[in-house]
Amino acid sequence: MSQRLVGILILAGLLTLAVLLYRSTASYPAFVQGSTASYVRFLAMSMGILCAAELLLSWRRKAGSGGATEEGSKNPRRFWALLVLIVVYALALDPVGFFPASAVFLPATMVAMGARRPLPIVLTTAGILAVVHVVFTKLLEVQLPKGTLF
Amino acid sequence: MIFDAVQSLLAPSALLAVFIGTVAGMIVGGMPGLTATMAVALLIPVTYALHPLTGLVLMGGVYCGAMYGGSIPAILLHTPGTPAAVATALEGYPLTQQGRGGMALKVSVVSSFIGGVFSTLVLLLTAPLLAIFALKFGPPEYFLLAILGLVGIVSLADEGRLIKALISGILGLVIAVVGTDPISGSLRYTMGVRDLFDGVAFMPVLIGMFSITEMLKLTGATRIIHEKAEIRPIKREPMPKGMGKFIGLGSGVGTLVGILPGEGATIAAFLSYNIARQHSKNRALFGKGNPEGIAAAESGNNGCVGGSLVPTLTLGIPGNSVAAALLGGLMIHGLIPGPELFTKHGVITYGFILSMFLANVIFLGLGLYFAPYFARISLIPTALLIPAVCLFSALGSFAMNNSVFDVYVMLFFAVAALVLERAGFSLGALILGLILGPIAETGFAQGLIVGHGSYSVFFTRGPCQVLWAVILLLLVPPVIQIYRNHVRGAKADG
Repeated sequence: MSQRLVGILILAGLLTLAVLLYRSTASYPAFVQGSTASYVRFLAMSMGILCAAELLLSWRRKAGSGGATEEGSKNPRRFWALLVLIVVYALALDPVGFFPASAVFLPATMVAMGARRPLPIVLTTAGILAVVHVVFTKLLEVQLPKGTLF
Repeated sequence: MIFDAVQSLLAPSALLAVFIGTVAGMIVGGMPGLTATMAVALLIPVTYALHPLTGLVLMGGVYCGAMYGGSIPAILLHTPGTPAAVATALEGYPLTQQGRGGMALKVSVVSSFIGGVFSTLVLLLTAPLLAIFALKFGPPEYFLLAILGLVGIVSLADEGRLIKALISGILGLVIAVVGTDPISGSLRYTMGVRDLFDGVAFMPVLIGMFSITEMLKLTGATRIIHEKAEIRPIKREPMPKGMGKFIGLGSGVGTLVGILPGEGATIAAFLSYNIARQHSKNRALFGKGNPEGIAAAESGNNGCVGGSLVPTLTLGIPGNSVAAALLGGLMIHGLIPGPELFTKHGVITYGFILSMFLANVIFLGLGLYFAPYFARISLIPTALLIPAVCLFSALGSFAMNNSVFDVYVMLFFAVAALVLERAGFSLGALILGLILGPIAETGFAQGLIVGHGSYSVFFTRGPCQVLWAVILLLLVPPVIQIYRNHVRGAKADG
């Protein structure tokens, strides 16, 4: 899928969102129709008009122009590995608990990112978890997820 | 009285408290998700057992240290420790990638110091007078203040992408609408998710869009600094020339905006950054690593520290959430804001204000000394750095509300940011919209109530007219510039 097409799809999605947002204000309580509902309608209208204008300009522009702004990762394999690992880590926080999930996430991600020497992997993992335990759990008394499975 | 205050402050316990507070503040500010408010609130029961001055200077040190600390990860890791450090990240991180992280940190700490000292001086000398100015601001003025901040979107827009930047800003404002209606109290667009009742928390969004996105991009690199760039030792790279103008600008704007209750530091940083961008001779360097942007933003957000304490100490109206927590600390010791604070309890109050000068000196010394060591973070292999930053990002997102849902929010916005960025949308504008959205909406809605439904309330009041004039002054030059570029482009094509 070309970047131009991605841009057009996003704009079309936002235009739809603007229409839905505008229509949703009808269900706001009557006494806020002149205040917060007006504000939301103003946002919806502004977004709709700007998206329509940009869509029009996108169609008029030659294909290939106005493309990407930022370079992505030069290593797609590691990019996707990191994304999958973070998602799995986030999903594991509640059932497994913060410390067990992190104890697996950190070395697994280090290996996926190309680290091979066991000593730095173990020391970094242990060091980070110790800092988190001292600063967050002991000093600041943040209630980190304890896990529901065990 | 000032002499007695100095004497009290020079007690070893008070000096130690300032030092510990400032260092703790730098650490807290440097960790995304940990806030100065959280740290000050946690300290309140601790300070109960201490002498009132010792307790207060401890909290004041945390406040000063945290505001500066937010810039360290913003510059080195593209991870703003506080929302007020977003503008710093836009300029600081590209400098780190060029191997000039040490210089960026130096500019940041010096600007923060000057901004902090200036605002504390203003607090010391003119607090009661400025408090009257703060009282003149009502909902319509707050709405316009948010608009003033949003004007920055025009400056943040890349060439030829103004409409996309505006769409991004409005998208941020739309996301900020999710949650509880500030007027009716009814829920909007929450889809029954309890974690959304208070709205989309901006810290997870910020962390996802800046930190996680950057880590995903870094997967293809072996370290943060570009392969060809060499890290320059801070001692060999002096403070860039011409920073004074931008530091002065940020200090003034920060102090003035800080006096007004609200999200002062973020608005001040963006506003200062925006003005600096428009008046810089090196405008083309903005977004690619311009120390002028760091100088303006950092002096701006640190300028808010003293400013936010003006209404807190004189009127009992906290300038922001940290000042609110500090107010709790004051009241627990029986120090009620008002004239008595500067007369009957003058020794403690002036001791507290003077301690903030000291806190600024402490973080200046520590910041300059440790800058070369901090800068070496950019040399850590990404294989070790990425997992650590991702973990602290998840932790920071979680810690704000103790909610795993916020970690999912962080991930969602990280992926969304990648897609939006590649399609040419502006993440800075989106964040600006998200942060300023609640202020804009509440100001707009309450303003209309104040004006009995008439929009004239936004135009007829004196402070509103001044704000409109400033908005136009900031808006006109970039619009003219965009028009000129368009005409130039059309001539080149034709």
